[in-house]
Amino acid sequence: MTPALQSSISRSNYFSNCTHCGFCLAVCPTYKLTGDENNSPRGRLRLWSEEASGRLSKDKWTDFYTEECVGCLACETACPATVPYGELFEQTRHQHVASNRFKPKLQLRLASAAVQRLLIFNLAMLPTRLLRRMGARVHRFLFPGRPAVFQSTAAYADELMQRHRPTGPRVAFLTGCLMEAAFREINFATLRVLIENNCRVIIPEGQGCCGAFQEHTGLDGVEKLRAQNRRAFCSLDVDAIVSNSSGCGYALGKALHPNQQVRDVLGFLGELGPVKRQRANNDETRVYVDLPCHLVHGQKMEGIPTKVLDATGYHWELAPNAKDCCGSGGVYNIQKPENAHAILKEKSAFLNEAEGAPVILATSNHVCMMQWHSAGVAGLVTRPYEVRHVIQLLDPREEVFS
Amino acid sequence: MMGPWRSFVLKASSIDISTHKHSLVKSSLESQLKTLLPRGRVFTSAAQLAGYGADGLGYKNHIPDAVVIPADAEELVGFMKGAKALHVPVILRGAGTSLSGGPVAAQGGVIVHTSALKRIREMNVKGFWCEVECGVALNDLDAALKPHGVFYPPDPSSGPVCTLGGNVASNAGGAHCFRYGVTSNYVLGVEAVTLDGTVHRFGGPAGGRGPWREDWKRFMIGSEGTLAAFTRFWLRLLPLPEKVWTFRATYPDLKTTEAAIHALVAHTSYPAAIEMLDPRGVAMVESSQMACGLPEGSFMLLVEIDGPEPLVNARVEPVAELLRRAGSKDVMFSDEDELRKKLWKARKAAGGLLGQLSPAYVVQDAVIPKRALAEVLQLVYDEADAAGIPAVNVFHAGDGNLHPNFLFDSRVPGDLDKVELISKRLMQRVIEVGGTLSGEHGIGNDKSSYMPLVFGPDSMRLQLAVPASFNPAHQMNPLKVFDNRRFAA
Repeated sequence: MTPALQSSISRSNYFSNCTHCGFCLAVCPTYKLTGDENNSPRGRLRLWSEEASGRLSKDKWTDFYTEECVGCLACETACPATVPYGELFEQTRHQHVASNRFKPKLQLRLASAAVQRLLIFNLAMLPTRLLRRMGARVHRFLFPGRPAVFQSTAAYADELMQRHRPTGPRVAFLTGCLMEAAFREINFATLRVLIENNCRVIIPEGQGCCGAFQEHTGLDGVEKLRAQNRRAFCSLDVDAIVSNSSGCGYALGKALHPNQQVRDVLGFLGELGPVKRQRANNDETRVYVDLPCHLVHGQKMEGIPTKVLDATGYHWELAPNAKDCCGSGGVYNIQKPENAHAILKEKSAFLNEAEGAPVILATSNHVCMMQWHSAGVAGLVTRPYEVRHVIQLLDPREEVFS
Repeated sequence: MMGPWRSFVLKASSIDISTHKHSLVKSSLESQLKTLLPRGRVFTSAAQLAGYGADGLGYKNHIPDAVVIPADAEELVGFMKGAKALHVPVILRGAGTSLSGGPVAAQGGVIVHTSALKRIREMNVKGFWCEVECGVALNDLDAALKPHGVFYPPDPSSGPVCTLGGNVASNAGGAHCFRYGVTSNYVLGVEAVTLDGTVHRFGGPAGGRGPWREDWKRFMIGSEGTLAAFTRFWLRLLPLPEKVWTFRATYPDLKTTEAAIHALVAHTSYPAAIEMLDPRGVAMVESSQMACGLPEGSFMLLVEIDGPEPLVNARVEPVAELLRRAGSKDVMFSDEDELRKKLWKARKAAGGLLGQLSPAYVVQDAVIPKRALAEVLQLVYDEADAAGIPAVNVFHAGDGNLHPNFLFDSRVPGDLDKVELISKRLMQRVIEVGGTLSGEHGIGNDKSSYMPLVFGPDSMRLQLAVPASFNPAHQMNPLKVFDNRRFAA
């Protein structure tokens, strides 16, 4: 049997797993937004399976509803029949892009090419790092932070390892593409936290972008990046492979062998029991924790461990509907800005009335951080608030920008 | 050469003409709908209709001619006013989770999806009632009521998504109906729009009356979209129980399980819910992400008691003892929310879990006198085994409301016929033991053929006269409930 035929048969079996029960409607951001059943997981599955079986010809509306999907995977958690919706969606989107039924926006096509060459990407993003470091607000997605402009995460890891000489578990760390190129300060904070918790951090050489960008856009290159990461990570003798971005961790997990689980750094720290930060008694900071979709629905974690959140020393609580999507969806907020805005509007409304001074919105995925930051720029949240990665709240050298 | 050539030309041109005519009709329908719904949405493309072909009974597909989503109640009323002149069937649809083929276009026509009518208009906590639009999802209502210490008792398993409109249309039940009763026990009033666009209020809150006599409200509840479109409801609420205990007991066979059910039903603790999963249901749960450690090969009872704390706490041990005495060596109970929720999630997701076992399934909804429980269940197993069709039973044992699920593959020729034959034999036996067709799912187009098994010709004639008086041409949801209820344009 040819691989193509085999794949089409397994697709058709997965389609038929869907009993049309409708549990996915309740959690789907685009169904909630539009009230249109075609714009829901069971609607899309029906469209794809009808087209695959020849009962429905190619239709611009099938393309439209496919593009509308945020890819949050909340439907996978809700689905009792365990339809692998995410996998089917990625396959379909890739087919649509390959056959010109769907064309990702130009900036996404350029970025997709760029992240496959990390050296060039890091160089090209140098001005972004510089501007962020100088405190310039250059783009609605660029949240405040002070990344190192020249020193890489790998170089910083060497420096810290030499200085502190930890003796605990050996941890291989995925530095990521955008994380390294634009939001390096989060990588640095991750290193400080891991090493403070006695972890020996290794930055595998030759690692590439996790491939999530290509998965989100449907563009080519996923397999090549997965192969590159298999080469970089699979032969390592380590206790854990960790990522500090839930989307990247989920994507890298798909690349590696099934017995090599990629751990979210917060989940990993939860097991270690991280060093606790002390705060002043009169600290009125309130942290609202939002859970990235790819952490809870992709990596199937219950959430960010309570131990980790308690270790931040702050008074924290989960944001309302913390397991619902913020509208970021990897690149969804660029591809479908109106929908992403509408989803964020609903999700972020609570911040306007939220107690605390200052108020911090904390999550564990940089693209969600970008989306949350844009809520202020777009005027959805009119009071001051900071967006932080949870790891930054555990950082012994935590910086405050407000 | 001339003959075949000429016939080919004729054939080709006749297809052309009919296609052309069809597209003309379609475009005219589309433009009429757009006039009726200037703010709402109108779908007529094949790919926009595909998603609306089926309800929760996923294998039966009926593609509508159009789907509309009115922007609000006002637009729905406007649509109904003009709908008669469309000369096509009109089908109301909530979330499309029903299991009887109710909100589907069995005779074509326009599906009216009420997803935009999702406002909770009022919560009168002191008066113990609320006013909701028809598209409000059941669990959204529950979540809104909970902080006020009140709840709306009917709880069909599709609660996260099913709408109050669908619940009222099918007189939905749920696991806790054993004590609390079904939807009709909680509907204080219904606002409905008939095909001429007139708005009628049947009943209302706090003893308030509409222009119709109180009992006419019952005609609307469970009418499955054959009489009118609903816009909003006034619903009765109850105070949230102070304390809830959930029991899980497993039994080695049907006989001991049945003994436990009979004892529970008659017990003074008056359980809120008595649910049963058979060994195949247990195996299905245990091999899924909902696994909760149920022993293999056992029949499971899920029982809940609730009420004032001291009273309920005092009843825990007697209920556990009753379950043990009936033959269970494995009785567990808890008042912890997490554990309770896990058990209920496994129970309520059972329909969807079937997807892991089979591409399609038919679920029956017969209600039988409890004395016949073991006998009818045995019939289900025997018939299904003989036909080589797997059957899974997950149901409301306290009410005698069976849900045998017959698993099949609609792509395998003959499979569906076998399932239909088993269903028919089962229904015949259900009627013989004094039971009826449906407890909570409604008749739809899935059980309409069984109606004559229960109702005689005179009864059928009179029952049919009710929808005929509201819409004489049977334009509202035709081919539902009654097999011969066809729209005559």
